[in-house]
Amino acid sequence: MTEQEIRYQFFLTRDATKAIASRTLRVDDLVRHAWEQQMAPAVKGPIALLAVGGYGRRELFPCSDIDLLILTPDQNSLAAIKEPLSLFLRDLWDQNLRISQSVHDPLDCNQIDSSNAELAVSLLDRRLLAGDESLFRKIRDPRPDLGRNIVELTKARHSQFNNTIYHLEPNVKDSPGGLRDLQVLRWLSKLGAGDQDDLGDGIPVLFEIRCFLHYLAGRDDNKFSFDRQDEIAELIGAASPEDLMRQYYRAVRGIARLANRRLERFEAKRSSLFSQFRDRTARLSNSEFSVLHGTVFFRSTLALESDPGIILRLYDFVGRHGLPLATDTCDRVERSIDGFKAWVGKNQPVWGAFLEILQQPHAAKAVRAMHESHVLEVIFPELLEMDALVIRDFYHRYTVDEHTLVAIETVLGLRDQKDDGFAELALETPDLDLLIVALLFHDVGKAAPGEGHTVVSQRIAESALKRTGIGERELGVVCFLIGAHLELSAAMNGRDLSDPTTIRDVAAKTATMERLKLLTLLTYGDISAVNPAAMTPWRRQLLWKLYTETYAELTRELTARTPLPEVHGNAERRHFLTGLPPRYFRTHTNAEIDEHLKLEHEARGQGVAVSLVKSTAWVLTVVAGDRRFLFASIAATLSSFGFNILKAEAFSNAHGTVIDTFTFADPARNLELNPDEAKQVTRTIVRVLNGEITVDHLMTRRPQVKPDMRALAAARTTFDNQASPSATLIELVTQDRPGLLYDVAARISERGGNIEVVLVDTEAKKAIDVFYVTKGGVKLSDEEARELTAAVSEVARGL
Amino acid sequence: MKKIEAIVQPFKMEEVKEALKGIGIDGITISEVRGHGRQKGHKEVYRGQEYNVDLLPKVKFELVISDSRLNEVLDTITAAARSGKIGDGKIFVFDVAEVIRIRNGDRGELAI
Repeated sequence: MTEQEIRYQFFLTRDATKAIASRTLRVDDLVRHAWEQQMAPAVKGPIALLAVGGYGRRELFPCSDIDLLILTPDQNSLAAIKEPLSLFLRDLWDQNLRISQSVHDPLDCNQIDSSNAELAVSLLDRRLLAGDESLFRKIRDPRPDLGRNIVELTKARHSQFNNTIYHLEPNVKDSPGGLRDLQVLRWLSKLGAGDQDDLGDGIPVLFEIRCFLHYLAGRDDNKFSFDRQDEIAELIGAASPEDLMRQYYRAVRGIARLANRRLERFEAKRSSLFSQFRDRTARLSNSEFSVLHGTVFFRSTLALESDPGIILRLYDFVGRHGLPLATDTCDRVERSIDGFKAWVGKNQPVWGAFLEILQQPHAAKAVRAMHESHVLEVIFPELLEMDALVIRDFYHRYTVDEHTLVAIETVLGLRDQKDDGFAELALETPDLDLLIVALLFHDVGKAAPGEGHTVVSQRIAESALKRTGIGERELGVVCFLIGAHLELSAAMNGRDLSDPTTIRDVAAKTATMERLKLLTLLTYGDISAVNPAAMTPWRRQLLWKLYTETYAELTRELTARTPLPEVHGNAERRHFLTGLPPRYFRTHTNAEIDEHLKLEHEARGQGVAVSLVKSTAWVLTVVAGDRRFLFASIAATLSSFGFNILKAEAFSNAHGTVIDTFTFADPARNLELNPDEAKQVTRTIVRVLNGEITVDHLMTRRPQVKPDMRALAAARTTFDNQASPSATLIELVTQDRPGLLYDVAARISERGGNIEVVLVDTEAKKAIDVFYVTKGGVKLSDEEARELTAAVSEVARGL
Repeated sequence: MKKIEAIVQPFKMEEVKEALKGIGIDGITISEVRGHGRQKGHKEVYRGQEYNVDLLPKVKFELVISDSRLNEVLDTITAAARSGKIGDGKIFVFDVAEVIRIRNGDRGELAI
């Protein structure tokens, strides 16, 4: 078959196993033919041509390299083959084959040291293509020591991918659980380190995806990018790209689990008998479980059959001591899962026993282990809904089940941190076990389309927990937490936390201090488990502020705690402060006011004064006489430097002096790494505000973002005239791009709107901005708000 | 087709090379060069003394790629060569009118 025919057949049948075998046959023919033409007639002595690596295994993906090994009797014969070899390789090159060749003698091949481990590994899959068979036979099978090199190489590769299968755009070959891990399992079996495992349905899925990736890219590209996920989902008629990714994660999860177990077992075998005796964890053994080099075993092989309830005690043991299960124990539990299912059916309520596991110090480990062996899903079949469920919004890094486990681990892990407010919260909260239950169910409703997932999650949790015999108070706490699990995030990202209305609102929703604490911890875990970088210092600070302010509101200390700075001082100070809104006094200390006064002095000379300081994020303060597009121009200048604006506030006094503060992040760390850059930023702001440079000119420095038509079509702009007593809130969600804030701010200014506060949240490619807008010092009428929202909506939709 | 010339810090050479290899770019020309960027580019007289400009060692990557891979290659080089400090270098992009493989006369993208 020609390459085109193989491709055609694959797209028709999606049979990747056949496609890679056919390609191997075709390449075999081409390579042998070139060998006959160029090498056989020209080389006199013994020589052999071997296929190694993936080609040796007869698994030649559409654009994989063709690994050839030319075997000569010794180093002396190299000179004689140089000329014909180059002609041989040229012929193959002209056939458009990507060849990776190497020339070795049997002595090289039989030597295993760390410098040629990769060669030795590729030789595990060797195959004679042409030439001298007796020379080929001189290559011995690698010694089992090679296993150690394989384990080391695998660990190094896994750590390149942060030891997780969860990547938004995974590499189907090298990511943990990918095709390379599959090879590792096979190699270790060949070396006698374990049996050939049953890898189930994982292999065909990965083979198929990799074939598609190669054909679509036209090269050896193994990155399963968003674009490819879309294309392949459509080609194979998957319900959605999310559905395809769910299949992918299920496939790699199985392979990754086997590979990790095998690596662990290999390590364990290597540790000496003596160290096993010394193993201190062994003393943790009890009458039911024994601990052998750090892993948990059943003491009796019959225990599981006679009493499946031992499974719950097993995870209680894991939670108590934080030890992993031995591979053999996992296998036994998985084999007895049906017996356990029947036992759970007959022995309800299991709530008490389950809750006890969650009260153990290493509860997070126990929960993860229960999920991995599906014990958790036997107790709560409802949780199967979120198994490997993918939420594809370019922001969630994990599948829903993994997100849930990471959230639990994060919250419980807080207890080990020192000098941290959240850690103290975790230590003083008695109901952490119920918090874990709430986290287990908080996103389970995401599988159901339509209705908001909090309501669905709450409903599912209620029925599941009642079945296991949960108490009334406990159910109340769990249902509250699930129902309110987005409230704090929503307030943090979309409401002005310095506005007492926001705090009063959150206080009313949480009602008690105990619930506030639990909800704060849940939010902490939920945000942290979105992706490893989601809990930024800025978000952490916002959440803490929201917690402390709401706590104060609940204990009615708010007014006593933050008295408004008095308008005192000399006439000049009083003059400056005249006409500034109450919000200004609420959000600034006396020292900050003095700083603003100083800037105002400076501004009198040059029209504008700027200061730039670093706290949790960078804060830029601009004091200037009021002018059109002041706010928008500053926003644009900051974007032009590649900064991400997090929050911006604008105040003006009775004399037309404006104080704008911008809080922003510097993801590229330009300001930190280049001390001169801060001066460059403040100088540019002054020049822009003085009309020496235009904003448009500055924006040409930023890369153009390709408009994503789907994101723009889905853009939402809404207004809320109830949330704040003094301003109208305009919220927009759209594709993020440099200068978006400038465009929106300019549009609001054009229509005579005054921007008081802007809160900006970006989730990967999505911007969520909330503008607090006034007109003539008061909030907009509903009519005005509707008009302005329509105008902003045009910008959001890229019109 | 596009030609890319990237001037990067010498200590970033391996990283850039590996990153390009990682996305399947094999044809690269690398040379050691000396030069200076904008910050030190002008000779000035400061307090009566001439301000001397030293030429700094850099590494130049040259590669020719198809148009469709331009952004991916630029992102890869930028990410690998970046330390965040002044002097990280520059990338220049040129249009390429034609590529010819001398041995057999292959033309266009086939010859890259």
